[in-house]
Amino acid sequence: MIPFIDLLMVTISFLLITAVWSQMARLNADAQVPGPPREVEPDKIEPEKQLHIEMRTPDKFVLIWKQSGTVISTVDVPRKDNLVMKGNKKSIRYPELAQKIEAEWKTVGTHRDATDRKFDQAILHTDNETAYVYLIGVIDAIYQAHRPFNVAGKAEQLPAFNVTFAVN
Amino acid sequence: MTIHEPGRRLMHGVPLKFVQKRVSGGNHRSVVAGLSLTSMIDFLVVTVVFLLMTFSASGETPVNKNVRLPSAENALDMIDAPIVAITGSSVLVNGNPAGNTRAIEDSKRLQRIDELFNILKGQRELWKQTRPGKEFPGVVVLQIDQDVSAVVVKSVFQTSAFAGYPNVSFMIDRLPKTH
Repeated sequence: MIPFIDLLMVTISFLLITAVWSQMARLNADAQVPGPPREVEPDKIEPEKQLHIEMRTPDKFVLIWKQSGTVISTVDVPRKDNLVMKGNKKSIRYPELAQKIEAEWKTVGTHRDATDRKFDQAILHTDNETAYVYLIGVIDAIYQAHRPFNVAGKAEQLPAFNVTFAVN
Repeated sequence: MTIHEPGRRLMHGVPLKFVQKRVSGGNHRSVVAGLSLTSMIDFLVVTVVFLLMTFSASGETPVNKNVRLPSAENALDMIDAPIVAITGSSVLVNGNPAGNTRAIEDSKRLQRIDELFNILKGQRELWKQTRPGKEFPGVVVLQIDQDVSAVVVKSVFQTSAFAGYPNVSFMIDRLPKTH
């Protein structure tokens, strides 16, 4: 009994010392930059529909579906910054934008089947003055739309969009 | 001096019966408490299970104390990648200075940060040399203060992408899911 209790005590000490209490996480956003040159040129593929989210004015977002530069549809979403202060930390929520993006994806999105390995692309455009916390609020809203995705024969819920952050 | 048998001595010299009774333990509960082993082992096992479930093998990600990270719900777990922190106007790569953003803030124009570019490029080349034949993941984590302007974020983002890190992650504080 005593060695068993000793083992539990040592295990608890080790786990407490190495425990991670912070809730750090990440939001993914890729950059569309040219890759390294390939030896064999890939076959020409049909350009897909992409959702462009314009965040350039303080009163609205503009959602634009484009396919190879051609505008398919445009929707304005009123911008309401739900700012929450917790100490000196800010967080911004855009629930209306998240709902609208999800609705748009359900009607226009291309990759909705669980067996589809590709994801729809959302591209975020913003002006130069916007604070970083607002960008995170919009990226978080884009990632709210989820779709089933087969992983080893089991359907898991993953974000419906890949997010690209446009620097122009 | 005579040798006495070991035992309680405190206040034994007081010639009052009720004091004698109290100091000798009286009719009260013993000062040596018993411990239920079953309850204690249950408690220890539950604690071990909880700590094992919350255990993270990747360790704690260092966060610069001057950086106030924004919060988000739909986040992914952290990964092992170079961390580019922007605190005030300084740029740090894994805690080491890598230029500053003063020129960008003054001009309010998108610019490449040469020092950051060279450090990231150097790290990329080192990674490729140490792991020949493996595909470079090109992931970098940006640790940016909540009030930094978009032009600075874009400049760091573009510099990282051009240095060979097109998969950029923004470090945030995870919020509990509400939907």
